[in-house]
Amino acid sequence: MNKINNLLIITSLLIGGLVVSGCSSSPSAEELKQLNDLKASVQALEKQVGEKKSEKAGLEKQVAEKNGKLQQCQSDQEIVKKGLGK
Amino acid sequence: MKKISLFSIIAIAIFVSVSPLVAQEEMTREEWQTQMATYKAKQAELQAELLKLNAEIEELKTQSTKLDADITACEDALYALLGVTRAEVEAFEKELTQMENRIAELQRMSDAELVNYKDELVRMDARAKEMAKSKICMIPRYNDRVNALRQKITALLNSIQKEKTYTVGTWAKDRDCLWNIAKKKDIYANAWMWPKIWQGNRDKIKDPDIIKPKWVLKIPEGKELSKEEKSAANKYYRQKASVSSPE
Repeated sequence: MNKINNLLIITSLLIGGLVVSGCSSSPSAEELKQLNDLKASVQALEKQVGEKKSEKAGLEKQVAEKNGKLQQCQSDQEIVKKGLGK
Repeated sequence: MKKISLFSIIAIAIFVSVSPLVAQEEMTREEWQTQMATYKAKQAELQAELLKLNAEIEELKTQSTKLDADITACEDALYALLGVTRAEVEAFEKELTQMENRIAELQRMSDAELVNYKDELVRMDARAKEMAKSKICMIPRYNDRVNALRQKITALLNSIQKEKTYTVGTWAKDRDCLWNIAKKKDIYANAWMWPKIWQGNRDKIKDPDIIKPKWVLKIPEGKELSKEEKSAANKYYRQKASVSSPE
């Protein structure tokens, strides 16, 4: 009976130890570096996206202004044609 | 022995429950995996967004270049209709802008300061009239700008051409004579300017020594006497001198 008890205790300790060590193992230095590099890459991408968004907004404004200018020119042409009786 | 086995079970239970608490201070593999997955997803999302933005930017640049060409073509056609060149329109625009800026400067001046720029305003008025007759002014935006400019010039000219007047008081009360009126701070602040009032009111003042109460005298603009005013004053002084010292 005692032997069985001892065996049970040892087995429990082994299993418990394995489970605990398996659950709480930390990532290696290499893996942590990998994570940090990934974070830096995401940050750089976020910055790039921000810059591209402002570039796009500037271009959209420019295109809208040019569209307005073109429409104005076309309307001017019509008025001038009428004025000249053409 | 039973005690030992019970102790062992309790020890294991405590070990199992405490171990994760100690491990929480450092990143666990699970946490690392979760963060890696989150950042990878974010990276993929951002890369896709960047690609989309680059494509949109390229498209906008193409649109912008095409619009530039369309605008130039439209303007060339417009100028051809009017029989003017782009260079002429640009020169017109430059001159108009300069005049608009100058008028904005003059608008900030008081009427008293503005009087000194009357000649310039008159010249600008004449030039604006010529510009209004230009073919380029058939383009509505230039027509509007030239008309607005002319209105501003007219308003400025009106404001300096507003006639200043003075109502004569009595000698007994106000000591009003042309000399004293000219000396007043709000008139010329210079008594020697009296001939200007005299010459500006020849319809009323026949003799500069006689002005009557309640007469409304025009106060002509200017800081100096004109040739005619000086000549009239000298004639008056000579007459006075001859009367006061008879031969």
